[in-house]
Amino acid sequence: MAHAVISCLHANHAALEAVLADIDQQGIDTITCLGDLVGYGPQPNEVVELIRQRAIPTCQGCWDEDIIEGLNACDCSYPSQLAERRGHLAHQWTADQLSEENKDFLANLPMSLRRDRLLFVHGSPNSQHEYLLPNMDAFAALERVETAEADTLFCGHTHHPYVRELRDGSIRVRVQEGVASGGPSEEREINLPVRRIINAGSVGEPRHGNTNATYVIHDEQTGTVEIREVAYDVERTCRAIVESGLPAIFAWRLRHGFEYAERADDASHVCER
Amino acid sequence: MSQTLLISGPPGCGKTSWILKRVQAHRGPCGYLRLAGYPDEGLAQAPDGGIDLAYLQDQCPRLLDLADLDQALAPRPEHLLALIELPQFQPPTESGLGGVDRRVIPQLEALHLKPDEHLHFGRDTALPRQDTLDFSSLQAWERNLAGSVWDPASLSSFWFELVNGAYGDVYRAKALMNLPDGRAFFCNWMVSQEGSQFLPLQALAPPDGRPERLSRLVVQGKGLDPAAIEVTLADCLLSQALPHSFPSA
Repeated sequence: MAHAVISCLHANHAALEAVLADIDQQGIDTITCLGDLVGYGPQPNEVVELIRQRAIPTCQGCWDEDIIEGLNACDCSYPSQLAERRGHLAHQWTADQLSEENKDFLANLPMSLRRDRLLFVHGSPNSQHEYLLPNMDAFAALERVETAEADTLFCGHTHHPYVRELRDGSIRVRVQEGVASGGPSEEREINLPVRRIINAGSVGEPRHGNTNATYVIHDEQTGTVEIREVAYDVERTCRAIVESGLPAIFAWRLRHGFEYAERADDASHVCER
Repeated sequence: MSQTLLISGPPGCGKTSWILKRVQAHRGPCGYLRLAGYPDEGLAQAPDGGIDLAYLQDQCPRLLDLADLDQALAPRPEHLLALIELPQFQPPTESGLGGVDRRVIPQLEALHLKPDEHLHFGRDTALPRQDTLDFSSLQAWERNLAGSVWDPASLSSFWFELVNGAYGDVYRAKALMNLPDGRAFFCNWMVSQEGSQFLPLQALAPPDGRPERLSRLVVQGKGLDPAAIEVTLADCLLSQALPHSFPSA
């Protein structure tokens, strides 16, 4: 059965509408959302309400968490003072706009969703704030999937869609009894089956080189993954950004396919509360 | 034998870079003067504010400032190479010294300077051929950044946005910017050339306290949005109280 996975909507209603229309056109009725419904974009309530209306199972993103809990991520999750100030501004604006009902919805989102051996998270199984980049150390990537007891891990957060297969994973363990006396040793090798990390990219704030929204379609039977790009009315969102009083630079970045949420340089950093 | 050269050309054609090479190649004393130039129809000259002189003096500490009246009145050292930079949009109507803009002559005379040769970028083959643009309209904007210190990662983001059109169509941008570790960079960008130059100054400022050296941003272009630039600058500059407090990302 084919199912669609969407992520990082970032309050971009036009992009979400276009992606859902594309999914509907494929005849797919199982959709999972990996969070970050809000933040930076101009239509937080509209986006949350559309997700609720379509009853799309959703896990909590870092923005969904922060907008409820307050800005509790440590400063170093921002790559620069400029990004931090803009992020705080977007945070404050979004917090002011969101209805109490929609805040409750975000507050009650689960950290992860599981369907058999498929695991759905925003950042990584460890944290909504951790980036699983495509070039991450293979052992560390395998560890994230294996310890979460998943065959396929769906994530977002990087805004850059990719499919990574982790093959030939093996762990060799040698146990020696009585090291000083040269006791018997036992060696064991554990071979791990293929694991996959599938990043869904971003609906509302693409960071893959153009302005199209991205999401993925995964077929559980065949194992195929399709990264889909969907054009949408970018100008509609850009106008709404400016009209809403959010910084115009957000519209400029979106219009040019540049990210407005700059990624921290230390991608493996996990905030300590 | 001393020599006085007047080098003119449009913004970003490479006048200062060419002058730096001449100064570095000359074995004797060198002097430098930057004239402000004149606006042309719809074309504003960018007030340099001393950026070029500060950069050249950093690279060549013994470079004489020919705008200094005391220098002008003092006897010239032997074998002085005097280089005069003149921003000028349109090519001179006559070749050689006959093409010197007459409006600058009184300024030069006041400083006891008389060019032996006039070279204009795009006209004289003694200068490198540069891919310069013909400007039809040009605004200029500048900001004094004296005492300011940049968060380095924010400077990188700001410069990217600036030269990619986030604050209007920028054709030319140059600046001297201070970093918290005491270094400063000469940042230079021209629409017709690929990439930006980020050239570190040789002189370091003391790591404690605010740097007192010249720091300035000059932008030329069309439809510039100074208010938006100011908002971003405020978010990029480190606070007065905590110049070293922002963690390096």
